[in-house]
Amino acid sequence: MSDFNFHVKPIGLFDMLHFKKMVPDRKQALENGSLDPVSGVYDANRLADLLHPKTQTLTIAEIIDHGELAKTFVLTGDSLAPFRAGQYLSVRLKIGASVLTRPYSISSSPMWVKEGKYALTIKRAADGFASGWILDNWKVGDEITVSGPEGNFYYEPLRDAKHVIGLAGGCGITPFLSMAYAIRDGAEDFRLTLLYGSRTECDILYRRELAEIEKATDKVKIVHILSDEQKDGYEYGFITAERIAKACGGEECSVFLCGPSAMYAFVDKEVEKLKLAAKFVRHELYAAPAAPGTLPGYEGDPGKTYTLTVKRFGETLGVPMAANETVLVALERAGIAAPSRCRGGECGWCRSRMESGDVFVPEKLDKRRMADVAAGYIHPCCSYPLSDVTIEIWPEQE
Amino acid sequence: MEQAYDVVVIGAGNGGLSAAANMAKAGKKTLLVEQHNLPGGFATSFVRGRFEFEPSLHELCDVGSEEDPGDVRKLIEKTLGVKVDWLPVPEAYRLVTTDEGKDNLNVVMPFGVKEYVDQMEHYVPGSRPSMEKFFTLCEEILAALAYIGASGGKADSKVLMSEHANFLKCGGYSVERVLKSLHMPKKAQKILCAYWCYIGVSTDKLNFALFAAMLVKYLTKGAWIPRMRSHELSVAMDVRIRELGGDIWYNTRAERILTEDGRITGVRTARGDVKTRHVIACCSPNAVFGDMMDAKDVPPQQTRMVNARKFGPRGFVVYLGLNKTADEIGLEDYSYFIYASMDTVKEAARADGFNDHPMQATVCLNRANPGCSPDGTCIMSFTTFYNTDVWGEIAAEDYVAKKREIAEGLIRDFEKQIGVSLMPYIEEIEIATPVTMARYTCNPQGTMYAYTCGEWDTMLARLMMLKDDQIVPGIRFAGGYGPRIYGYGSTYMNGELTAKLTLADMKEAEK
Repeated sequence: MSDFNFHVKPIGLFDMLHFKKMVPDRKQALENGSLDPVSGVYDANRLADLLHPKTQTLTIAEIIDHGELAKTFVLTGDSLAPFRAGQYLSVRLKIGASVLTRPYSISSSPMWVKEGKYALTIKRAADGFASGWILDNWKVGDEITVSGPEGNFYYEPLRDAKHVIGLAGGCGITPFLSMAYAIRDGAEDFRLTLLYGSRTECDILYRRELAEIEKATDKVKIVHILSDEQKDGYEYGFITAERIAKACGGEECSVFLCGPSAMYAFVDKEVEKLKLAAKFVRHELYAAPAAPGTLPGYEGDPGKTYTLTVKRFGETLGVPMAANETVLVALERAGIAAPSRCRGGECGWCRSRMESGDVFVPEKLDKRRMADVAAGYIHPCCSYPLSDVTIEIWPEQE
Repeated sequence: MEQAYDVVVIGAGNGGLSAAANMAKAGKKTLLVEQHNLPGGFATSFVRGRFEFEPSLHELCDVGSEEDPGDVRKLIEKTLGVKVDWLPVPEAYRLVTTDEGKDNLNVVMPFGVKEYVDQMEHYVPGSRPSMEKFFTLCEEILAALAYIGASGGKADSKVLMSEHANFLKCGGYSVERVLKSLHMPKKAQKILCAYWCYIGVSTDKLNFALFAAMLVKYLTKGAWIPRMRSHELSVAMDVRIRELGGDIWYNTRAERILTEDGRITGVRTARGDVKTRHVIACCSPNAVFGDMMDAKDVPPQQTRMVNARKFGPRGFVVYLGLNKTADEIGLEDYSYFIYASMDTVKEAARADGFNDHPMQATVCLNRANPGCSPDGTCIMSFTTFYNTDVWGEIAAEDYVAKKREIAEGLIRDFEKQIGVSLMPYIEEIEIATPVTMARYTCNPQGTMYAYTCGEWDTMLARLMMLKDDQIVPGIRFAGGYGPRIYGYGSTYMNGELTAKLTLADMKEAEK
């Protein structure tokens, strides 16, 4: 103790009493609390639930055919979560014995939410497991379960240039369609020039709708590029650096890309030629490839089959796992409802604890937190097994 | 599926992780349940593009160096055996005020008591005697708090009178009152109070003992952060809990606390009922007594207690990944406090709603953690807070625009006051509001500071009322709602304290 003697003036010598009052004062204040039942509901929490529901139950209200290859499903529900044009819904599916999810970009205007509607446009993928099944099985009146709106592929004025060049391939048009509607409807304020690559005129999705939006607003411009057909009114060839530069017109632009992996393989190289700062190039999710065989750095034997041991809330299960598929797919084939949303390594919802074993994670898809990598956590959606693996998972609550 | 545990810890925030690790270490069969899919609560991280962001931690108090460890390092490393790669924060803070005309402040204060006093004398000639008195008082307060903490709510008033007289004399007063009576020059008082927003209580209501203890610990022990964001700490705790034999269930909400004749018998989760006699809750008493128990099972005294308490500040944070380095931008410091003025009463009142130029506590992470982002880039975060549930009143369709408006204001204010340009270099931006924090942590109204410790609900009063606060046998509170109040270090310490008290409960029950 020091010699220095502290006084709070003007209370002087009585100031210790002030300390002694702390407990009686608090006791009194606590006793003054009301006897109303404790409320567990608060506005901010209610808004959080509305913006980010864990699941939404939707009814298929209408199905629009786009030729043989694609359909748009108009989905209705109560108090739907608002979304930013470009976001996706993760759809839960049960196909045979498998339980799985698929992320699909919302193709409708954000304004539709007020009317209780979303639209998803789904194209039959060549070797697709889920897309074909959805096209063949979803009927008007069916109920489906989806996540809240997810993903970061949207325009952000504090970050992006005021002019966005959208590079779309095939079904990659869907987030851009939503953005174009959002601009037309005043929900977003930026200029969008869309370079939309299709094989032939017949393969173009939403040709009429895009033309109508282009007429309705001078902020949206569409350039169709056909790779397999030469036709008046369309450009012929691919999405090249020259075409992107021309669309920019010499001003600062953000380039947004969405399409199948074959398109990225080509267009990424074209975009690189433009030497844009990283902040001006944004990709929609890269879906984890069905098989790892051709991925840079992969040294596994894709022909092998391993055992996946799954720990789940105190129980342990063993299931077969093919080396040429992700750990998540092995879980889904076994009918285990593991958490997942983006399926491209990014969202982190499938984060699981790997207790033993070895997996290959493609560098491009490895968006794990540093500490998770160090502690052996994996994102099963983009982890390909290199050995038997034991993981602990925590399925989301229904 | 019915399983039995000695203790169920609800919520894997800092307090829950610490409590679970302490219980498992004591050999108790421990289950930790967490509604989110990650440990840590606010202590986590998230990835956008090439950046991994720190959501909440500015600097941990009372860690100290390996050679001179503080209580938090001792708890995490020595007691629990958790390994963390700590990095020191270089300087205490830059403080800038903007609406005080010729009295506007723009000062940088260092760590180290001597350095701090010297620097204060530089900015405020003649402040030295009052500053030295202040730090002498701080040391006495630390000694007294250590005694009260160790006494487990049974501090002997005779010991306090004889050993800790100065503490008793100032411990019941506000910061403002004590600094005035030390005859500290007004300008020095202002500079000294920069950290007030870390507690979020204006200095007329902020308990002096708490503030003095925090300040002197920052100055003597420095401030530290984990290299891989606070997620590193949370994951290291998660790993350690399992090593110690504990179980952790993520994505699992505690739905009901089961009771029989006023005694806890278990916890209901979506995975089934779990038998236990002891619950440590690292979540709000409002959730426990409002959602997890029927009103008829909650004693009236407990209901009054929950309803009497007020939520602390709700946080709002903007995160930027910038495509220039801190040097290129001209960011010299790690920690910036920018206030309209050091009239904290006015400043706190402005946080009751949406106002222009809200206060901000801003960090350039690279200044303490140079390797935290890729070459040629840096990471910043801007934090402000709200004293009401004003974000809950926003219509869902206006939410994105409102959060962007507030974020842009914080960035532009910083650019203007510090004289740098940030807008052209934003490669990634994310914005967290109280609604975001409500989403991930489930805290009522998204509060980041649990119950306010202003006025009567001080840390000292809570510590001295440990026994009185225990109303429903078998349930104790860790985390920010606990006796040592909120903040990173405090919540880890709350976890330890709550575990000790629960172990004592178990012993008592055996008798």
